[in-house]
Amino acid sequence: MKEYFQNIWYGFSTIMIGMRVTFKHLFVPAVTIQYPNVKLKLPERERNRLYVNMNDCIGCDQCARACPVSCISIETVKSIPGEDLGKTSNGKKKALWVTKFDIDIAKCCFCQLCVFPCPTECIYMTDVYEYAEFERSSLVYNYVTLTPAEIEAKKTNYAKLEAEKAAQKAAGAPPVKPAEKEENKQ
Amino acid sequence: MIVYDFLYNIVFNITQSAVAGDITAMVISAALPLLFLVLPFAILAVWLERKVSAHMQDRLGPMRTGSHGWLQTIADVIKLLQKEDIVANDNDRPLFNLAPILVFSGSYLVFAALPFSSAYIGSNIDLGIIFIIAASGFVVAGILMAGWSSNNKYSLLGAMRSAAQIVSYEIPTILVILTIIMITGTTNLRTLSEMQTGYFWNWMIFGGAGLSLSKFLFIPFMIIGFVTLYISTLAEVNRTPFDIPEAESELVSGYHTEYSGMKFAMFFMAEYANMFAVSAIVSAIFFGGYQSPFGYLGNTLGLTWMVPIEQFLWFASKGIFFVLVQMWLRWTLPRLRVDQLMALCWKYLIPIAFVNLIIVGLITVL
Amino acid sequence: MSIYDIIFYLFATITLVSAFFVVTIRNIVYSAFFLLFTFFGVAGIYVILGADFIAMVQLIVYVGGILILILFGVMLTNKITNVQIKTGTSQIIPAAIGVGLFAGILTATLVNTPWRKIDNSPLFPTTQGLGLMLISEYGVVFELLGILLLIALIGAASLARK
Repeated sequence: MKEYFQNIWYGFSTIMIGMRVTFKHLFVPAVTIQYPNVKLKLPERERNRLYVNMNDCIGCDQCARACPVSCISIETVKSIPGEDLGKTSNGKKKALWVTKFDIDIAKCCFCQLCVFPCPTECIYMTDVYEYAEFERSSLVYNYVTLTPAEIEAKKTNYAKLEAEKAAQKAAGAPPVKPAEKEENKQ
Repeated sequence: MIVYDFLYNIVFNITQSAVAGDITAMVISAALPLLFLVLPFAILAVWLERKVSAHMQDRLGPMRTGSHGWLQTIADVIKLLQKEDIVANDNDRPLFNLAPILVFSGSYLVFAALPFSSAYIGSNIDLGIIFIIAASGFVVAGILMAGWSSNNKYSLLGAMRSAAQIVSYEIPTILVILTIIMITGTTNLRTLSEMQTGYFWNWMIFGGAGLSLSKFLFIPFMIIGFVTLYISTLAEVNRTPFDIPEAESELVSGYHTEYSGMKFAMFFMAEYANMFAVSAIVSAIFFGGYQSPFGYLGNTLGLTWMVPIEQFLWFASKGIFFVLVQMWLRWTLPRLRVDQLMALCWKYLIPIAFVNLIIVGLITVL
Repeated sequence: MSIYDIIFYLFATITLVSAFFVVTIRNIVYSAFFLLFTFFGVAGIYVILGADFIAMVQLIVYVGGILILILFGVMLTNKITNVQIKTGTSQIIPAAIGVGLFAGILTATLVNTPWRKIDNSPLFPTTQGLGLMLISEYGVVFELLGILLLIALIGAASLARK
């Protein structure tokens, strides 16, 4: 009999304790946020979508080689003498036309290994993380600034130069030593 | 009964027939709650449930459709209306289609006898409380029908559990209601509400009207009766902690697993309509029904037409308050096991209700 | 034919048609659900006769209690243990004799009872009179029925414990 009433009392008191807890939580401000309207501040070294600043890219291919999942593919064309490609922001002279700089962001594993080898710090992680697409092909980002026509022109220019060189070589003229050429340029 | 008289006069003036006027007015006045109360209330209650549960779990809940998401349920209803009505091959088609109608009409029948205000009660029958208990029998039959015709073991188990639960918990409900009938000597919910007029100390939970020794002796037993009735009605509407018939983690969702689209919406609305109905019964029996706890603004200002409106608001707010407590309990307590459920009913609630009945009877004789 | 007559015939049709199906249909679950409509129709007829309390008790006891228990039993045996329960006809001749006798008794009672005709006076609640009669005039019968039910309850409990 005593146990019976104890059970009733125990049931009641525990329900009251539980209800007090939930009632208190009714007035606790929500810990969730209204996501697309309100966004949490990202941590300082967050890794999200890659970005390439093509003004600084010298086409050295180091990032593509560092990538463990081969999501970066770069093609370059050598410039012909006399062409001015401009300088990078840290004073390096560009020597190659970058004709293809594709990052397949769907493959990217956000390891950031491509960022460190870059001599001009032109490839880096941004804070953009909302880039869902309907087509998988739209996730291949194309960073090349040259138009297709320009790329064609650069390629033909270089081919022409090569052909001229080959013709010169065939004509017997001594080729310019690469080392000397480097020195001359600098 | 203003609504009834109004309808009666209209029909009587057209047809010049007292019988036609009586029946038309009765049918229309009994059907009014469906459109103007059950559906809006279900929509409000579903939204409230989502908001209350969200805030109790430190979330926000629906926020996008309308201010604080108040249009969310309407959007959901529109979605459910558009959904395909799936009937599986092995479902028992006639019973499968009939079950939601039976459940919905059973829970809606209750609304016809609720005293919303002194001016409006759907059908002022003398056996109001008994009628409400009787109508819930249709809900049980409908649930069993849904469970059986779904041809799904989860549905059947849910239906069996639900029927066992409702049948068991009807006993303490009836016993507590019997104690009230014994004190007041009426089964008419309107008379019962009228008896608790005046200030809140005239409510049944405070021993009813009048100033005598028995009024003060009643108070502890009325509180026990109220708690018993509240627990057993909570079990009758299959709400947590008594939601083993639709236990999501064990039975998918019990007897309405196989239902989709509008039929599912009918089960859903029946559940919320039931919640309000039992809360309204509790408030009508113990908390003065549509009576204000302190005078009416209409009487103070001399505007008597305001009183029924105020009464309706009091009734609705009392009902919604108890619905909110149901939600509060739901998000506080875990689900009971089947044996615990039956032990609570047969070992605790029924003996307590019986003892309560006997003691209250003795006090009444005094 | 007044509107009350129409309502009466409506309920009578519900009762008779569903009762017919209760007896004839072979699927026992269907016949149990048709029983629901029979009870409902009978309750409606009680209401029309002014027996409001009886109508409500009819619903509580038969729909809320007995019908649910029947369905319970049928479903537990039918679905869970995979026994196909079908009602069939056997012993046609003794059954016909029994039914004929019963029908004869019923018809004789119907014809010989001096039915009281009620005019269209407003109906009053019957609960109070019924309660007083149950306690005073039919007190012994009422108590005996209570004891009978108690015995049945104890018997069922002791059977279930075995």
